[in-house]
Amino acid sequence: MSALPNALRITTVLALLVLAGFPFYWMFVTSLTPSSQLFASTPQFWPVWSEAGVYREAFQKIPVATWLLNSLIVAAGTTILALSIALFPAYALSRFKFAGKGVMGLSLFATQMLPEAMLVVPLYALFGQFNLLNTLTALILANTAFTVPVVVWILKGAIDGVPEEIEEAARIDGCSPAGIVWRIILPLIAPTLAAASVIAFFHGWNEYVFAQTLVSSESLRTASVGLAGFVGELSTPIHTVMSIAVIYTVPAIIFYLFVQKYVVGGMTAGGVKG
Amino acid sequence: MKTSVDNFFKDQWLPYAFMAPVFLYLVLFDFIPLLNELYLSFTSTSLLSPRQHTWVGLDNYRELFRSSDFIHAIWITTIYTLACVALALGIGLGAAILMDSPFVGRGVARALVTLPWAAPPVAVALIFTWIYNAQYGVFNFAQKMLGFDAFENWLDTPQRALMAILIATIWQIFPFASVVILSALQGVPKELREAAAIDGAGRFAIFRAVVWPTILPTVMILGLFITIWSLRRFDLIWLLTQGGPIGATNTLVIELYRKAFVYRDLGAGAAVGMIGLAVALVITVIHARVSSRLEAENK
Repeated sequence: MSALPNALRITTVLALLVLAGFPFYWMFVTSLTPSSQLFASTPQFWPVWSEAGVYREAFQKIPVATWLLNSLIVAAGTTILALSIALFPAYALSRFKFAGKGVMGLSLFATQMLPEAMLVVPLYALFGQFNLLNTLTALILANTAFTVPVVVWILKGAIDGVPEEIEEAARIDGCSPAGIVWRIILPLIAPTLAAASVIAFFHGWNEYVFAQTLVSSESLRTASVGLAGFVGELSTPIHTVMSIAVIYTVPAIIFYLFVQKYVVGGMTAGGVKG
Repeated sequence: MKTSVDNFFKDQWLPYAFMAPVFLYLVLFDFIPLLNELYLSFTSTSLLSPRQHTWVGLDNYRELFRSSDFIHAIWITTIYTLACVALALGIGLGAAILMDSPFVGRGVARALVTLPWAAPPVAVALIFTWIYNAQYGVFNFAQKMLGFDAFENWLDTPQRALMAILIATIWQIFPFASVVILSALQGVPKELREAAAIDGAGRFAIFRAVVWPTILPTVMILGLFITIWSLRRFDLIWLLTQGGPIGATNTLVIELYRKAFVYRDLGAGAAVGMIGLAVALVITVIHARVSSRLEAENK
């Protein structure tokens, strides 16, 4: 692959990285721009470090801490619920042959077609019947419905990679199928389990439509909804808004870097094999 | 002591017992709500009194196909989806090929290029709103530096808004395409490439004969995912333009939301949703046919 001149290739790679990274950089630079410079005819391209106080101010003036805490609760709840629901089905899809398996796989895929916005109305009615409206529990339940299929796929991909002979010995010793999943499979797929947790976590962390519609109390507002409130709003200084956006984005990015390869593996395994 | 009857019972029911948690969950939180929505689409129901339904049969659907707004939304959705698929796959493939060849710092570059995929859509909407700002946005500033007149916010300009939305969308999703294609590229057997090179095949010929057939199944499934995700994308579009200006970015999901929550017409909103879902299903079926035919041809 040396026909492409090295200089050209490096330039293209750098251009790509600049394009991919610029909006992040811009979010950060804007957060560290003095108010006097925000509305200048030439934008300021470098962060002014002495402006870092804007981050503390954001926490003082705006209930950012509450928003983040709510997002954290929703995300953690979604993760725990999705993982505990997904483990055994993932094993069944990987190991068993049974009538209706195709239908099960297809219904998992079908959930990917449903827009959250479409299910808002019926879910609102459903949660209303169980007195769950305006609770973080409703958000956890709704998010899990959209995360669980993805988690099942990813875990199934990992279980596919575990040789069945490993289970043989345990089976001969009289270990029950559930015991096999719990004692043998679970430790072996631990890294994928961790990756799936991160994916479920950030589904909950990023989610906006349900958080916007199923919850109304200000004290239960998540960071996505809080932040969305700044779009088109002019009274909060833009550097304060961007500082909150940075705080909200950074954890997602850091964790994503750790799990990237599992997402790809899960998607190819789940997608190609059906 | 276990009898064979016990074993028979266990073998028969075990898979279903194992599947039960997910199955029940999806039925309760996805499929029953979906049926509910299907029912709503045949009724006249207001957001203000959501429990009072009047059965109207196919009226909502008839009304939709008579409304130019809805036809326009289908048109916008088609352009948006096709552009997302073509651009994300094209740029993703280019980036993947680039990242597949060895260079110094490749590992870091691979990690960095995927970051946009990890950004929360709400944060993406916020930063792009600021980047596109008419007077102080860096986007217009860059255009002026390049010698263009740039005084309007693209998001507020009917001819430009869809393009602006596409730029933000592609920025967010191309890394995913690139990472997935890259992992497929790494599955291309080296010996095949080398054999083709020894036979004197050029780079493009090698790509067509050896690389492309190997990664095609991945590209196909990726195309399907991007299609489906584009059909249902809400947050980014809603927060950037709310479907405007004058419907320029009004995709089906935005139209669904507007019907239900702005015009408070739950029946019409549900009908839009059902049509969108039908489109997604038809595309999936066609996709399955095409990809099985392609795979057969490749064998």
